[in-house]
Amino acid sequence: MSHLSTPAVVMGIGTGLTKLGFAGNDSPSFIFPTAISTRNTGAASGRPPTAAKPSFLSGPGANSSSSGGNLASKRGTEDLDFFIGQEAIDVSNTPGYGLNYPIRHGQIENWDLMERFWENSIFKYLRCEPEDHYFLLTEPPLNPPENREMTAEIMFETFNCAGLYIAVQAVLALAASWTSSKVQDRSLTGTVIDSGDGVTHVIPVAEGYVIASAIKNIPIAGRDITYFVQSLLRDRNEKDSSLRTAEKIKEEYCYVCPDIVKEFNRFDREPERFQKYLVDQGLGRKVTVDVGYERFLAPEIFFNPEIASSDFLTPLPEVVDTVIQNSPIDVRRGLYKNIVLSGGSTMFRDFGRRLQRDIKHIVDARIHKSEERSGARSGGLDVQVISHKKQRNAVWFGGSLLAQTAEFKGYCHTKKDYDEMGPGIVRQFSLFNVP
Amino acid sequence: MLLLQYHNLLIQSILQERFAPDAQPTLIDQVISDFDNVTYHVSTPESKTKILISLSVKCYKDLEKYGVTALLQREYEEYAVAPEAGYDFSIQVDLENLPATAEEKETLILKIALLKRNAMAAPFEKAFAEFDRLAAEAAKNSLDLSVPEDSGSEVMAIHYREEESIYIRASHDRVTVIFSVLFREDTDRVFGKVFLQEFVDARRRSIQNAPQVLYSNKEPPLEIRNVPGVSVKDDISYVTFVLFPRHIARDRRENCISHIQIFRDYFHYHIKCSKAYMHSRMRFRVAEFLKVLNRAKPEVEEEKKTSSGRRYGTR
Repeated sequence: MSHLSTPAVVMGIGTGLTKLGFAGNDSPSFIFPTAISTRNTGAASGRPPTAAKPSFLSGPGANSSSSGGNLASKRGTEDLDFFIGQEAIDVSNTPGYGLNYPIRHGQIENWDLMERFWENSIFKYLRCEPEDHYFLLTEPPLNPPENREMTAEIMFETFNCAGLYIAVQAVLALAASWTSSKVQDRSLTGTVIDSGDGVTHVIPVAEGYVIASAIKNIPIAGRDITYFVQSLLRDRNEKDSSLRTAEKIKEEYCYVCPDIVKEFNRFDREPERFQKYLVDQGLGRKVTVDVGYERFLAPEIFFNPEIASSDFLTPLPEVVDTVIQNSPIDVRRGLYKNIVLSGGSTMFRDFGRRLQRDIKHIVDARIHKSEERSGARSGGLDVQVISHKKQRNAVWFGGSLLAQTAEFKGYCHTKKDYDEMGPGIVRQFSLFNVP
Repeated sequence: MLLLQYHNLLIQSILQERFAPDAQPTLIDQVISDFDNVTYHVSTPESKTKILISLSVKCYKDLEKYGVTALLQREYEEYAVAPEAGYDFSIQVDLENLPATAEEKETLILKIALLKRNAMAAPFEKAFAEFDRLAAEAAKNSLDLSVPEDSGSEVMAIHYREEESIYIRASHDRVTVIFSVLFREDTDRVFGKVFLQEFVDARRRSIQNAPQVLYSNKEPPLEIRNVPGVSVKDDISYVTFVLFPRHIARDRRENCISHIQIFRDYFHYHIKCSKAYMHSRMRFRVAEFLKVLNRAKPEVEEEKKTSSGRRYGTR
């Protein structure tokens, strides 16, 4: 068969960004916003316009007979008049187009738009005939099975794709951590800390299954850090305090420090720690912005949320500890031993080290207490936070890693299976056997 | 998006990024796939400034017969290098040795992104050259151009997919291009038939200048009946494009080649789009029906209770 040699397509479609690419590559081929711009038709009800043949097909004679007259004859290809990704955002400023985000909170809200989004991403961006390729899609934890079925229906019935695997993002993030040298055994047990732009999830995974009851979300993520940096810049009356500058400073200068008080002192002792950032405002205007305490204060809001927010006050290490304590007792050891970072907001230098230290403190304190009470000696507990080079696109990379294995196609549901059993089959996917 | 693009967007965007004046050289190692079992490999094996782009086409053997090597040499002369193992053709671009102006760079990028199109163009170019020769001969012998004559020219077959092929044949007054089309899905076949019928009818109705399109089910057209390997199967259909001299006038040739070789993908893309469109209409209709059903629900009689929980009325 032809699709034995073609690489599988890995699509990680998230709330903010879509990552597309082929299995076997180490980074996604395309990363663009999950946005779609469609033509605004007069009817606001969302009713798709009635299709008529394009005017050149119906011919001059047919025009008069159709009731809509000239207008009707122009219809027919509006459903193809749309843009996705960066183009969608560019075009949304022109009149006649409306910008939509088909995914909200990780879940697909508008299937019509999503179907067209896929259509364009497959044919325009990836340029592949879906009949020849296997597909690996990602889904957020707690995605209802109905959504999976709907996805399968579209992928198989509209696109006739050769095979489909839908994987949970957290599991793929675990798989991506296998590239780290710290990982000795390739297990699918671990705690995933996935921090993107909008929200941070802490997800425990045991043997490839997500422990749904223990998942916790933290409303602090990349965007909040950017806002925090921006507010500090504004307080100091910097010449440029736009969101873009704040974001750049966050990405280039910020790091996690072991102790805030000591770090403040160090900054005062060593003035070279204060840095300057050159902003190019365009049109030849350039201003310098001082970069000061926000270098270590910004990521600190994960560990001391009270410095930025007033409604969420639990530090990240404590949340991780609670999540693991809420999980079944027999997997806790594995969860502590394998805490995996994923997503752009975990990329700060020493983030993993600080997290590991803080969780270790909490755990040691608890063990110490129980030793005092029971008088028995405890064997201790390993806490290990794993950071690796592929953290930014960890989910996509994990997908690419798994989809390039020879066994991948065996785990997929094929078009034939789908025709035989119906969309219900995608409720179950066999897990990747850990080699 | 009504038409598919001819160039590979990904190659284009990678190169644009690399060619930018302030770009840092980085390692690239990407496998890229394109329509019709075409695979590219973009990598930097030697040093970060030397980008190697390799192309692998399933039907390269067929294309070789029709002069693809010469064509690619002509197009990518100064960049062509010995093909990478497992690939059919490779070019190497040295980032330190790029054309000076931005426009020239843009042209080079586009040229590289059109690698697949250019490779697939070989048999078409050969057919057009053959057509020129035959037409000149016919003019010399003062044959009546309007009389179709069975020239002995060879039918070129390109098995570009597992079960589908393109056949091209030149004669002195036309070039015939035949696609064999196979549907794995029944639904697709129905959609496909409607589309193909539209292709046939379009010419009859309004656009007389379009190439003639014929389509036949099961039976291969007469032109290729004698070609070995043409299968007579139930689920296969044949689409014939007849290109007349006005379609392959010198200035239109390149365009014509681009258009026709992407026909299959265009065709399948639109089948998929129309399915998506149908689905959105269906979803709309279901939502409307649900509204009607919700309105038709009998009102739930609420039991009236006092604040202490006792019921009014008699049981």
